[in-house]
Amino acid sequence: MISYDECVSEIQTLLAQSHAGGSIVPPESDLIDELGLASLDVMELIEALEDRFDVAFPINELGDVRTIADLAKRIQTLT
Amino acid sequence: MSLLQKLDAARDFQDQLGQLGVNAIGATIDVTGSATEGKIEGKRVILAGTNNYLGLTFDPACIEAAAQAVRTHGTGTTGSRLANGTYAGHAALERELSVFLGTRSAIAFTTGYVANVGAISTLAGPGDVIMLDADSHASIYEGAKLSGAEIYRFRHNDPADLDKRLRRLGDRCARTLVIVESLYSMLGDVAPLDQFCEVVKRHGAFLLLDDAHSFGIMGETGRGLAEALGIEDEIDFVTGTFSKSLGSVGGFFASRKHDVAPLRSQIRAYMFTASSTPSVIASTRAALKRVAQGQALRSQLWRNCQRVHEGLTSLGFKLGAAPSPVIASLMDSPEHAATAWQVLLDAGVYVNLVVPPGAPKNLSLLRCSLSAAHTDEQVEQIIEGYAAVAQRLFDQPRAAATAYG
Repeated sequence: MISYDECVSEIQTLLAQSHAGGSIVPPESDLIDELGLASLDVMELIEALEDRFDVAFPINELGDVRTIADLAKRIQTLT
Repeated sequence: MSLLQKLDAARDFQDQLGQLGVNAIGATIDVTGSATEGKIEGKRVILAGTNNYLGLTFDPACIEAAAQAVRTHGTGTTGSRLANGTYAGHAALERELSVFLGTRSAIAFTTGYVANVGAISTLAGPGDVIMLDADSHASIYEGAKLSGAEIYRFRHNDPADLDKRLRRLGDRCARTLVIVESLYSMLGDVAPLDQFCEVVKRHGAFLLLDDAHSFGIMGETGRGLAEALGIEDEIDFVTGTFSKSLGSVGGFFASRKHDVAPLRSQIRAYMFTASSTPSVIASTRAALKRVAQGQALRSQLWRNCQRVHEGLTSLGFKLGAAPSPVIASLMDSPEHAATAWQVLLDAGVYVNLVVPPGAPKNLSLLRCSLSAAHTDEQVEQIIEGYAAVAQRLFDQPRAAATAYG
C-alpha cells in the first residue's frame, strides 16, 4: 500500500498542472467548490490516478469525494 | 440550502446560454413539410441537424402505414406492455426486428433512451461491474447508475485502455458488462468495434453495443457497424433506436447469443411505462422494410457525407472525425459556435449548436447531420452556409468577437 502523503502529493502535482496554476494547494481544498473542477475534470483526475497507481476507482464513489484528502484516502485503500 | 436553489442555478445556466445571443436550448421548428426542409422563426431552412439519416419521416409507405394504424387502432394504447399495451403490431415488430438482426429475440421500448436505461439497469446489478466508454450517451450513464453495479470508465474509443482496466478487475470480468456505441452522436466518430470485441472476449466479459447511430446506415443490409465488420456474432447484446434511420420513436434490446425475452418481466422501464402508439409501431415496421432494401438510400447518404466533409474541410473547418452522417465542426469557443449557428440559420441552414457541458471534452460544436433525402442542391446550400460562417469567423474574427464577446 502506498502512503497517504505520497497519494496527496501526486494529486497536488496533477492539480498544479491542470487547475491550480502551478501552485500546490492544501489537502483540505474542495475539488469543486474551491478549485473549480467540473465533474468531468474530477473523473479525468481519477483516471490519471488510476494509471499512476494501477488501481480501479468506481465512479459511483465520486459523490463521496469532496477534498484532495478524501480522494487520497480512498485511492490509498485501493492500492 | 433550499430545494428551490436548484431552480435558481438552472435559471442562471439558461441566462449564461442566453448571453451567447441565440436560443441555444433549442430552436422551435414551426413546420417541417418534408424530411429536409422546415420553417424556423418564419424562415424556410434546410434541416441538417435532425438525425433523419435515411429521410424516412416522410416516406409515403411509412406515412400511409401510420395513418391506417391510427384509424384502425386509435391514437394510443393507454397502457404498458405487460398490461393492455401489447397489440399485434408490437409483437410483429419485435419478430421482424429479430429476423432482420438475426437475434434470438428482441424487445421494443417506447424510446431509445428507455431501452438503454431498462436493458443496462436489468442486465447488471449490485455486485456486478459496468465498464463504459467515457463518451457514452446519458442514457447509458443513467442505466449504469440505476443498476447498482460498480461503474468504471475507460478512455473514449481506446481498446488498450479498456484492456488495462479489465486486467485490473481480474476474475470480476466474468461479472462485467462493457458498453460501447457504434457511431458517437456528437463527434461522428466510429468505435474500433472489432478491437473492443477481441479485448472483451479475451477477458471473459460481456459486450453491449448501443447501435443507435449506425443502425440502418452501415452494413450491406443496414444492420449497422457490426454487420459492416462481419462480427455480429461476437456482440452479446445490442440496443438501438427507431428515432434515427427509422424516422419514428422507440428503441430495442436484442441479442444473437442470449435470449433476452424473459427479461420482459424484470425490466421496469418496460413494465411501468406506456407502450408505443400503434401509428408509431406501424411506421417503424414500414421503415424497417425500407432499411432492409435500402442500399440506394445508404449509397446516397454516404455520397452526401463525403461531399459535405470535403466541402467543410476545404473551407478550413476543423472536423471531429472522418466522413460520417454526423459532421461536427470544432469551434474555438461557445461564442464562436453561437455566432456560426446564427450565420447558418440566416443562410437557411439549421444545424445543432452544442456547447459545454453538452459536448464531450468541453468542446463547442456545430453538429451537422446529413440525410439520404438531401438533394445535391441542398448539399451545396449547406456548404454555402458554412462558407458564410468561414467568411465571418475565419476572415474577420474580430468582428465576430465584438458582436458576441
